[in-house]
Amino acid sequence: MASRQPRFNQQVLIDTTPLPDSIPKVPEIGSSSAPLLSASYFIGARCKAYNDDYMLCKTESNGKGETECLKEGRKVTRCAASVLEDVNKSCLQQFREHWECLDNNNQQLWQCRRWERPLNKCVFDNLNLEKKIPGAPTNEIPVHLRKRQIFAHSIATQ
Amino acid sequence: MGVPFEAFIPYAIMLGMFGFSGAALSKLRAMQNGGKRARHSVDTWDRQMMDRDRRLTGFLRGQTDNVRAPAGFELSNPWRIERAFI
Repeated sequence: MASRQPRFNQQVLIDTTPLPDSIPKVPEIGSSSAPLLSASYFIGARCKAYNDDYMLCKTESNGKGETECLKEGRKVTRCAASVLEDVNKSCLQQFREHWECLDNNNQQLWQCRRWERPLNKCVFDNLNLEKKIPGAPTNEIPVHLRKRQIFAHSIATQ
Repeated sequence: MGVPFEAFIPYAIMLGMFGFSGAALSKLRAMQNGGKRARHSVDTWDRQMMDRDRRLTGFLRGQTDNVRAPAGFELSNPWRIERAFI
């Protein structure tokens, strides 16, 4: 992180020319950081194929990914928007409680497991999406299913 | 023989002063952060996400869970430019 090139700017330019009409218009996702973090594993469960496609396109495009991977990016946006819409429709109460807790706790998932468990259960029952941590070792219990969170500040929120 | 409670009064004063300043600082931080606890250990990813939150809601710590962004959001990401030295 310390080895990034510094970029200093004095001014900021906001370019308001919209994209040309040849590019299909997809509405951007309107959720901010805490709801996105809360729903991220469900977005990953449903949209894994599109996300992997987009990442592969960006890696292979050698720096030109912003212009060449627009199609894959549209697919990612549409899929994530569909997950958020479904979560909003079926599990709004648990979802709101979880992301409000995350917002209060520096966006750290291990402080808010108490609200995460009902959200995971509700989403699994209604939308059939299960949270899986990719790359977790299979011979141990995943961190989000453990009873004791070793870094949490208080027992009440575990 | 009774407990010498007068000897504990200075400790109670010190504890009270520390407690009061801690509570006042915590209240000030909460007022600066829109009623929430302050963010710490903010890295570039968090800074970028907080900037996006500001573009979405108008507040650095504001949060929404709308599915669609407000109109004009896709155009409000600024280009950072600097004067060229030649």
